[in-house]
Amino acid sequence: MTVTTPDPVPDPPLTAREELAAAQERLVRALVAGDEPPPGFDPARIAVAARALLNKRAGEVARAWPRLAAAHGARWPAAFADWAAGTPSRGAWLDGWGFARSRRAHLPPAAAAELAGCEAHWSYRPDGPPRRRRVAVGRLPGGVIVQVLGRAVVVRPRRSQLPR
Amino acid sequence: MSGVVAPPVDLGVGIGWRPDIAGFVAGLPGLRFTEVIAESVHAAHPADELLALRDRGTRIIPHGVRLSLGGAEPVTVDRVSHLAECAELLDAPLVSEHIAFVRAGGIEAGHLLPVPRTRAALDVLTDNIRRTCAELPVPLAVEPIATLFDWPDQDYDEAGFLTEVLARTDALLLLDVANVYANARNRGEDPLDLLDSLPLERVAYVHVAGGSERDGLYHDTHTDPVPNEVLALVSELCARRDPPGLLLERDGRYPPAGELRAELDAIADAAGLPHVT
Repeated sequence: MTVTTPDPVPDPPLTAREELAAAQERLVRALVAGDEPPPGFDPARIAVAARALLNKRAGEVARAWPRLAAAHGARWPAAFADWAAGTPSRGAWLDGWGFARSRRAHLPPAAAAELAGCEAHWSYRPDGPPRRRRVAVGRLPGGVIVQVLGRAVVVRPRRSQLPR
Repeated sequence: MSGVVAPPVDLGVGIGWRPDIAGFVAGLPGLRFTEVIAESVHAAHPADELLALRDRGTRIIPHGVRLSLGGAEPVTVDRVSHLAECAELLDAPLVSEHIAFVRAGGIEAGHLLPVPRTRAALDVLTDNIRRTCAELPVPLAVEPIATLFDWPDQDYDEAGFLTEVLARTDALLLLDVANVYANARNRGEDPLDLLDSLPLERVAYVHVAGGSERDGLYHDTHTDPVPNEVLALVSELCARRDPPGLLLERDGRYPPAGELRAELDAIADAAGLPHVT
């Protein structure tokens, strides 16, 4: 006896492992990507946990970008969290770099120099790993940074010679 | 498998090794064991201070934080190999990891997340622990985490879930009394209930850490002093069964050395052990 199956063929049921994978992904998205908490979770607690994860990220970024964090003083965790909320981490280095790029015009000299030092060696890409630069010239407070084949030099003209 | 018992060793009181406090750790005269975050160890270029501790006979336990034993994806060969490499390099008596997952669908959570206490998650966790143990040259101890929230619709309570994990595998238990305290407080439960239900003969060592209250919940921060309630739990645990060792975890906002020494002494006093400071 033949049985005709209706078209389209239904998807096979998810295995227990696949269901768990999907449930874990929904939870992670709620915690770090700004998605709604999955049904059944306490939304208030998920919000507190999401904030705790952002604070932890802020601490890790502060270690990778100490001058950037210092420039914000006690407001650093909140400033970083506001910027990073809803965006999953790309790692402390790239997170800090992305934050610094977003504040480029407002960075105090030490943080601006930290960013310039990074950008003298690496070129930022929003969707992929940074590319190493072979040659770069960048501005930093009071001078320029020149990098050739991995060696960077900061050139600070005397004040009278500063280009306007 | 249920006959597994933690080896009878006497590790005393220790503190987690971190680069920021390497000098403090090296200067503790009575220190017999420490722990290092496995992912921070560069197997080809390990920190000289760590090797010096190893060479003077301090037991060093590599403590992984990113294996994701509770993740739906099988553990990866490179992460397990790194743990094995750390164990060989540091002449470790065991390695430890967490009953947690840290990523899903290619997204990193950035910290340890709780596994749902369901049959499906238990199967996955058991599989991952077995895969890991099969590649390690030393025993694995697994640590239940602190969590700010719980999954809905769970099949087991925490003690039942942990007991089942341990019954199904050869893993030992890394019992974090600060996590026990944090979860009980945030769930409105009595932490002693969990201590009374766990197979304490499987405890390989114990974590102790500080925390603070924020947004109405207790956060296991590792950057605050150890509260008296956690020290009391150390005493309660030792009254039931003396663990092989107790280790203070401090991960930032380091206090002056005197305060850190006092904290180690307080743990030793709570456990009835000699000071290591």
